[in-house]
Amino acid sequence: MSAGVRKLGWSLLAWALVLLVATPLLWMLSTSFKPENEVFAVPVTLLPEEWTVEYYVLLLTETSFPRYFANSAIVATLTTLVVIALGTLGAYSLVRFRYRGREAIASAVLLSYLLPSVVLIVPLYLMMVKLGLANSLASLVIAYTSFALPYALWLLRSFMAAVPEDLESAAMIDGATRMGAFLDVTLPQALPGIISTALFTFILAWNEYLLALVLVNADEVRPLTTGVMTMLVSGFNIEWSLLMAASVMMSVPLIVILAFLQSYLVRGFGAGAMKG
Amino acid sequence: MSAIDLVGVRKQFGETQVVRGVDLAVPSGAFLSLLGPSGCGKTTLLRMLAGLETPSEGEIRIDGAVVNAVPPGARDIAMVFQSYALYPQMTVAQNIAYPLRKRGVPKGERAGRVAAVAEMLQLGPLLERKPRQLSGGQQQRVALGRALVREPRIFLLDEPLSNLDATLRSHMRAELIELHRRIGRTMVYVTHDQLEAMTMSTHIAVIDGGVVQQFGTPQQVYRRPVNRMVAGFIGTPAMAFVEGRVGEGGALTLAGTRVATVDAAPGATPVIGIRAEDVRLAEIGVPARVGLVEPIGHETLVRLHCDAGIVTARLPGDTAVQPGEQVHFTADAGRLHLFDPIGGERLTDPYQGNERDHG
Ligand SMILES: Nc1ncnc2c1ncn2[C@@H]1O[C@H](COP(=O)(O)OP(=O)(O)OP(=O)(O)O)[C@@H](O)[C@H]1O
Ligand SMILES: [Mg+2]
Repeated sequence: MSAGVRKLGWSLLAWALVLLVATPLLWMLSTSFKPENEVFAVPVTLLPEEWTVEYYVLLLTETSFPRYFANSAIVATLTTLVVIALGTLGAYSLVRFRYRGREAIASAVLLSYLLPSVVLIVPLYLMMVKLGLANSLASLVIAYTSFALPYALWLLRSFMAAVPEDLESAAMIDGATRMGAFLDVTLPQALPGIISTALFTFILAWNEYLLALVLVNADEVRPLTTGVMTMLVSGFNIEWSLLMAASVMMSVPLIVILAFLQSYLVRGFGAGAMKG
Repeated sequence: MSAIDLVGVRKQFGETQVVRGVDLAVPSGAFLSLLGPSGCGKTTLLRMLAGLETPSEGEIRIDGAVVNAVPPGARDIAMVFQSYALYPQMTVAQNIAYPLRKRGVPKGERAGRVAAVAEMLQLGPLLERKPRQLSGGQQQRVALGRALVREPRIFLLDEPLSNLDATLRSHMRAELIELHRRIGRTMVYVTHDQLEAMTMSTHIAVIDGGVVQQFGTPQQVYRRPVNRMVAGFIGTPAMAFVEGRVGEGGALTLAGTRVATVDAAPGATPVIGIRAEDVRLAEIGVPARVGLVEPIGHETLVRLHCDAGIVTARLPGDTAVQPGEQVHFTADAGRLHLFDPIGGERLTDPYQGNERDHG
């Protein structure tokens, strides 16, 4: 009986939290379908009285939104690919090979992650100018990579360290090359970690604002975050429904990816293949 | 010709010396057991043979060719890991087939060979399971299967039977001996279990402190252990060590009773090693008090406390002695082992008259 009450209490608490988090999102969704006159109407309507997709059409046809969206998608995808490729191999090296300064490198990586990003913006910008990369998607990919890589290395290192070395040794004796052993044995074991890291990196690149603001200021290369802001401030009055429609569209890729990868994230490790 | 030669092999991890100069020539087709206490470097030695570690110094030769720089996959060896090291995301069948797949054995042949190995190891019903769905003993058998599915030049087995129950263990022991006899490949077998080493091997290397203490046939190692460490390690119950004393004319006394004649200066105090099965109760002999009595069916282990220390005797099962009883015991002079009291090396064998018995 009291167990049942306790369970009910916890459920209520959980739902309250979910509601707290979800309300603004649901509000955003609802607003994006409201016609302009209804947005500020009193009494407030929870659901649009009159549904309209006018702003979505407007967004996709009349604004630079599709351009921004494509830019963000390119930058986030490339960043994720680069970070995962470098991070996986780097973490593997930190875990498996013995060389001078290995621990120093690992600590340096952590340290660089702890540095606030604000202090790096100006040097990064100057570097991009020197490299002739200012105002390009490449500059964003490089900048985001430099921010995500330390964290990715740190995360992947612990995942790789959890893969027993004997597994690889066994694969090498069984006729695999080191790279083959890595691909056949270590990678599948570290996959949940790699997926989490990829997700983290993608979200970071997708949502990043500050660096994008400094590094690019041409419409062709603006990502969603700064792009939508530009759309917002360039008009005389803020088109809230339009902004909400943009926000919904911005969130969709993340939600889709999360829904798709969730099963991987919760699956966790295949435990118990080793003695002890 | 020897299948494996180790010449002055050393291995250190940072400051820690793990293997301190091992010389070993393993004859082709031998069943060599590496025997030694935990942490003595057995696994490290095996990993160097496999090519997973590079020796810090020295040379490893397989069939006469130096392989120090040859990668593991090119050495044509199979290994069972102490930790099993089964691939978690693969099924039992895929695990066993992996070495074949990596060596390009055609699919049809693979299935046949996996089935044959599964039959031998009683793994048939488990083939589609993942390793984590298996018990420890089952995992160990899969690990064994993955090694046995090929016929490499050399098998390296790191305690492959340690986790099996007694029945399965003796079954697997027999299977391994049979397999060794049939395919005649060189096997290096790591074990803690000296009984296993004695029964299975053609050769034994006793290792301690990163060096080979003794290399020889099981009989040699048992009959003539070269030092106190080997003597104490081989044989159950462990060999008893008591203090002896050499008197005039080389008379060796144990607790004041003369037990043998030796070729040593008077005043020496060698350590006398006595195996339990060499001890007999007698009318005349070393006086002792009976301590713990352990009847184990067909025989009885009796601890005998004499002035020089404690000696264990393995006596017939019907021996009627009570704890606290005063008895006398004796042992054939030729069966006594004498060791240096400080360094522990074997000293000259004791003898009675002209008779010498080296066993
Ligand atoms: N990679 C390593 N780095 C540092 N020390 C190591 C390493 N591998 C082994 N050692 C040390 O070397 C010694 C021998 O280890 P090894 O695994 O060869 O022992 P073992 O004889 O196989 O023991 P066991 O019977 O318990 O398996 C141990 O003291 C161990 O701590
Ligand atoms: Mg070991």
